Amino acid sequence: MADRAPAAGELTCTRVFDAPRELVFRCLLEPAHLTHFWGPAGVSTPLETIRVDPRPGGVFEAVMVSDADGRRYPTRAVYVEITEPERIVWTEPGSGLTTTSVFRDLGGGRTEVEIRQANAPAGYRTPQARAGFATSLDRLAAYLGPRGGSR
Amino acid sequence: MTTAGTTGEDRLDAAFIALADPTRRAIVARLARGDATVSELAAPFAMTLPGISKHLKVLERCGVISRTRHAQFRPCHLEAGALDAAVGWIEESRRAWSERFDKLDAHLRDLQRGPAADQAGTAGG
Repeated sequence: MADRAPAAGELTCTRVFDAPRELVFRCLLEPAHLTHFWGPAGVSTPLETIRVDPRPGGVFEAVMVSDADGRRYPTRAVYVEITEPERIVWTEPGSGLTTTSVFRDLGGGRTEVEIRQANAPAGYRTPQARAGFATSLDRLAAYLGPRGGSR
Repeated sequence: MTTAGTTGEDRLDAAFIALADPTRRAIVARLARGDATVSELAAPFAMTLPGISKHLKVLERCGVISRTRHAQFRPCHLEAGALDAAVGWIEESRRAWSERFDKLDAHLRDLQRGPAADQAGTAGG
C-alpha cells in the first residue's frame, strides 16, 4: 500500500476503517481505546499500564504483555505533535524512532490511517539519509528478507 | 535478548546508516549474490575506485561487509547478520501495525454496534 509514499519515505502502513475520523483519532489517543488494540496479536496492553499526556512534550507510556509467557514490553514515547483530528506524532527518546499517524477523512464514515515510522536519530536525519530511506528501504527489506529475516 | 541491551540498537543504527545511500544499497544487493572485488563492484557505477572505496569503508565500519586481509584483490563479503537487525525491525514493525490495525478494526466495529457491545473487547482473544 505504498501508493501514496511520503516524501520522507519511511516505513509506512496504511489501513482504511469503517468509522468516522474523530472516533479513529480518539482510538489512537485515549487509553480506554488503546487497551483494546495497542498490543499486536498475542499481546495485551492492560489499561492501568497506559499513560497518555496528550500535548507536545507529554508522555505516552504503555506496557505490552505477552499472552503466552507474561513477558512485558514497555513503550515509552514523547508526543511531538497532536493536531486533532488529523495527525499524531511521537518519538521514542531511547531509539529515536519517530512515528507519525495521519488520519484522512474519506467521506461516507470511512477513515484512512497512515502510519509512518523512521528510526531517525538527529545524527543522520540529513536530507541524503532521508532520500536514501525514501528510495528503497522497504524494497531492500523484501529483497533481503528471505535470507535475513528468518531468525 | 542479551545482557548488552545497547548492542542490538547500535547494530540497528549501523545498519540504517549503511543502507541510507543508494550506492551502498546497490553494493549490498550485489554482494548478496556472492563475494566481489572492488573493481567488480565499481563496474556498474559511474564512479571511481576511490569513490567506491569510500562507500566500502562505511559498510566495513558498520560491520555490514568484511574484506579479506591477505588476498591480493581483497574480495568483499556481505555479513548478512549485520543487516538482520534492520530487516527484522522493518518486518517486525510492519507486522505489529498490521495486527494492531486488525484489532482496532474489530474494536471500532464493537464501538459502533452500540454501547452494549462495549464489553466485547475485553480480551479479544
